[in-house]
This record gives sequence, C-alpha cells and structure tokens, in this order.
Amino acid sequence: MKNLIPPIGIGLAVALACFAAVPLAGAASIENSECFACHSDESLTRSTTEGMNHSRMSEQLFIDETQFSHSVHHNNGIGCVDCHVDISKLDYNQEVPHKKQLDLVNCTMCHEESSNAFKDSVHMKIRGKGITMNCNACHGYHYVTRQEALSVADRTNNGCAKCHNPYQSHDWLPQKNEHFSFVECVVCHVPDAPRHIRLSFFDLMTNKFYSSQEILKILGISENEFKLLLDTDKDEIINVTEFENLELILRQKNVHAIFHAELVAEMHPSVHKINRGQAERDCKTCHSANSPYFDAVTLVLTKDDGSSDHFQVDRAVLESFSLRHFYALGGTRMKLLDKIGFLLLAGGFSVVLGHLAVRIATIPLRRKNEYAAEQSNIQEEVSR
Amino acid sequence: MSHEKLIYIHPAPVRVWHWLNAAGIVLLVATGFQIRYAEILNLMPLKDSVSLHNFAGFGVIAAYFLWLFYYLSTGKIIIYFPDPSTFVAKAVKQVKFYGYGIFRGEPNPHVMTPENKFNVLQQKAYLGIMFVLLPAQMISGVFLWKVKGYSDYIHLLGGIRIIDTIHVLFFFFFASFLVVHCYLATLGHTPLAHFKAMFTGYEEHH
Repeated sequence: MKNLIPPIGIGLAVALACFAAVPLAGAASIENSECFACHSDESLTRSTTEGMNHSRMSEQLFIDETQFSHSVHHNNGIGCVDCHVDISKLDYNQEVPHKKQLDLVNCTMCHEESSNAFKDSVHMKIRGKGITMNCNACHGYHYVTRQEALSVADRTNNGCAKCHNPYQSHDWLPQKNEHFSFVECVVCHVPDAPRHIRLSFFDLMTNKFYSSQEILKILGISENEFKLLLDTDKDEIINVTEFENLELILRQKNVHAIFHAELVAEMHPSVHKINRGQAERDCKTCHSANSPYFDAVTLVLTKDDGSSDHFQVDRAVLESFSLRHFYALGGTRMKLLDKIGFLLLAGGFSVVLGHLAVRIATIPLRRKNEYAAEQSNIQEEVSR
Repeated sequence: MSHEKLIYIHPAPVRVWHWLNAAGIVLLVATGFQIRYAEILNLMPLKDSVSLHNFAGFGVIAAYFLWLFYYLSTGKIIIYFPDPSTFVAKAVKQVKFYGYGIFRGEPNPHVMTPENKFNVLQQKAYLGIMFVLLPAQMISGVFLWKVKGYSDYIHLLGGIRIIDTIHVLFFFFFASFLVVHCYLATLGHTPLAHFKAMFTGYEEHH
C-alpha cells in the first residue's frame, strides 16, 4: 500500500540528518529533566520585559511536561537544547542558570525545505509591512504535534483561522460553507502542493471520527492485518469491490460508520508557499471530469499522536455508490448516470424525430382523406 | 374562425404558472448541462451557471406553489386524476390515435373541455410529474443548494450521492421531456395552435 510520506516526517528526517552530521553542543550534556526542574513550575515567569522579543506571546516560562512529551519533537528524541542551541551549559550558581534572553529558535536548522518555501510566501513578505510572522505563529512553541490526522475543520482552526476569517472574504465563491467544510485552505491557496482525498471513518450517531484503535478493536484485528483485510488482491490499492467489502464487514459488526471525505493537502514543505493572487479560482479545475484534484484518494487510520496510516484507494470509489457521502459537483460524477441520461435524451429525440418523420411522410395520405371527406360532404349536401 | 369554436381552457393563473415554469425548466436544463459538463460546454462560467441554476430552481418552486394553490383552491386538481374504470380503454384509444390515427387525419378521441382538458395519457404523465418527479427534483435541488445546512436530512436519505443521483436522473428526464413536450404541443389542428392557446387561454374546437 502506498504510504504517503508525511511532511513532518521529511522534516524529522532532515532533523535527524542534521543531528547526525552536526554534533550539538549541549545535547550530550543537558537532559530535558534538568530544564524541567525549573520550567515545570507553573509560577515561573519572566519578571521583566527587558530585552523581550516582540514576537513572544507571553512572559510565562512554564512548560507543560506532559503536553511536551506528546509533541512530535519529543517523540523523535529531540531535546530542549537541540532547539535552544545557545544553551551549552547550566550554571546553577546564577539566579538563572543560562542566559536570560535566549536566541530565537531556528527551525530552519532542520526544516530547511519548509523554510525555503516560507521565505517565498506572503507570510514572509508581510515583514515589509512591519508584521513578523514566525513558524510558531501557526505551529506553536513546545507542543507541536503531527497534523496529518486532523480534519479540515481542525486544520483550519489550528492554522489559518488563527488570523484569517474565511467568511470575510471569498464572496465570489459559491457554496462557501461547503467548500470550507470539505476543502482545506491550502488546497486552493497553494495549487501546486500535493493533495489527496482523505477518507476517514465517521460515526453519524456521535458525530465523531473513529480512531485507528477503535476501528481495529471493532474489526478484531491488528494494525498489520488491516491491510490484508482490505487489499485482498494484494495490488496495493483498494478497489471498489474491496471498499464495498470493508463496508459490508463493518455492517456485519453492526457499525454504521460512514466514510467522511475531505480534500486536504499533504504535509509537504511546499504548503508554506502561500502567495497572494495564486489561489485556484477556476471552478472547472476541480469541478470537471478527470480533475487532478481527485487523482489521489487515501483511506486513513488516525492515531492519537496525530499521525495516520494511509491506504491508497482507487479513484473509481469516488465515482461509485460505494462512497455515498461525498460528491464534488462534476468532478466525481458517475459515468453510469451519464450513459442513462444519454439514453433518456436519445429516447426522447428518437420518439420525436420518428413521429415527425411519419407525420411528414403521411401528409399526402391525410390530404387524400381530407379531400375524400370533403367530396363526401359535398355529395351529401347535393343529395339533400 | 368563428367565436363559437373557441373554448376558454387555460385560465390566467395556469398560463402564468406554465410560462414561468417553462422558462425556469429551460434555464435549469441549460445550466444543468453546463454544471455537469463544465469541461465540455462553455456557455457561461461555472459559478454563474450555479447561481443561475439556483435562481431558476427557486423560480420553479415558487411557480409550483402558485400551481398548487390554484388547483387546490378551485378544486380543479381532479383533472390530474384519471378515472380508473375507464382508464385502460381510453388509454388504448389514445395510443392508437397517436400511433396510427393521427397519421390518417382521424380526429383526436379526447375532446378538450375546461373540466377535462387532459387526455388519460396526459393525466397519468402529469400526475407523476407534478406530484412525484417535480417535488422530488425540487427537494433534492434544495438539499444540493445547501449541502452543509441540510446534511442531517441528506444523511438520513442515504447520503449526497443518492440525492445527486435522483437529481441527475430526473434532470435528464426533464431535459428529454422538454423535447417531447414541445413536439407534442405541435399536434394540434395546426402546429402552433396549442402554443397560441397557452398565451390566449383559448383552444379552438374542431
């Protein structure tokens, strides 16, 4: 099964490569526990604003260790001083054992591709207007989690909607609500970014997405067995029949989950390259047969850490009754309906043209009959 | 043409409804094709065709309620219901006329009166159209207009794919019906007689 490489994963790969190649000064000598000895204190705050960088949102210096432990960086073995590279040693003789004003964390050290894309974006260009937007404006500081498992709504709320209200613009866009609900902002605003239709298990009764664990528990199988259960012909893609089989299995387990479909961008560095005037505005790009926006379809099993397993699905599933809760006008239309429609139209025209042809061909006959009738009437009149 | 031969068949509300409905259906069919086949047709931009389709749809819905109010309030709604006891015999006669007699110049077995303007085939067809197909098309159209807002109902009915299938199939039916309907309207004593009557209200008796 095709495994989409999550962009965060790319970032981490770059990060690990960095660490492998460049020994970080403090990494070996300072453990996270030493940092948390102070920073787990909720009352720890900076007592002065002297030297504060304007981009800081708060003076609070408390870090929630539990939340940090769920972060993508911690989960990949990246410690405090791997980012805060200007801390090389702790001097406990001082009131603050490291310099009071730390340098800004340079995410580019690891996330070079994302950084390059960001440098060529409107979010970088606004610095010319005096607005500084750093990585943390969207991603936060210490609790960065993987985004790939998030729904469109969560991606919007965690990202663009922090600053932008999409309802205040997009007046040209028909069916705003529908677009905002099913399409991630980046899909239109970075048309070149890789994207896919993301199918996830959704419970209509509770209005919640099923997690990977929940689905696997219901099916009574392990993570590895899920792929075997789905892809019975082992061709690495879930076709219509296999998709229907999965639905049937869920029904047999008395689970009435639907497949919720959303058009989302992949977590690729290019998603950072958002620019004015480059958003896709031609409706036909999406809403026409064979639109490239529906080429990649994946079924996802979402995990608690924000990651997800992806299973490639045949596009034909989008254009069939197997997927009853998603339809993109024109873009995922069923070809069968077109054929039935053609037959209906052809039938209508055939009846009309056939009848008309016979009507025209029988004009002499009707004239003859009318003439005979008139003659008969005249004879009747005369005989009276 | 003598006045004795003119019969007032189509009252003003019916004519208003008919032409509003006709204009709406023509627009809906045209924009419907544009919406479904955006990659082939270039009559107008897709977003404009969607807006126009929505406006035309609500126009047809408004006209439908005008029709319903008129026919219910006057009690004339019964003209849409064929008499089961005579339906088969009359239907056979009517089919024979359209398939054979009309070519020989025989008179239409059904004589239009204000109380009974439809022949049994028309009654049966319009009964289905006005009480099943058109309402289904209007309801499915409203659901498709605000998919998010009506998502509960859409889920209840089996999903957006089901709603879309109903709407598209009936769309093709109405497109085909439009062609057949216009042709059948030429089967009066002159090709334009029924068209004229739908403007004046008067059908000529022959």
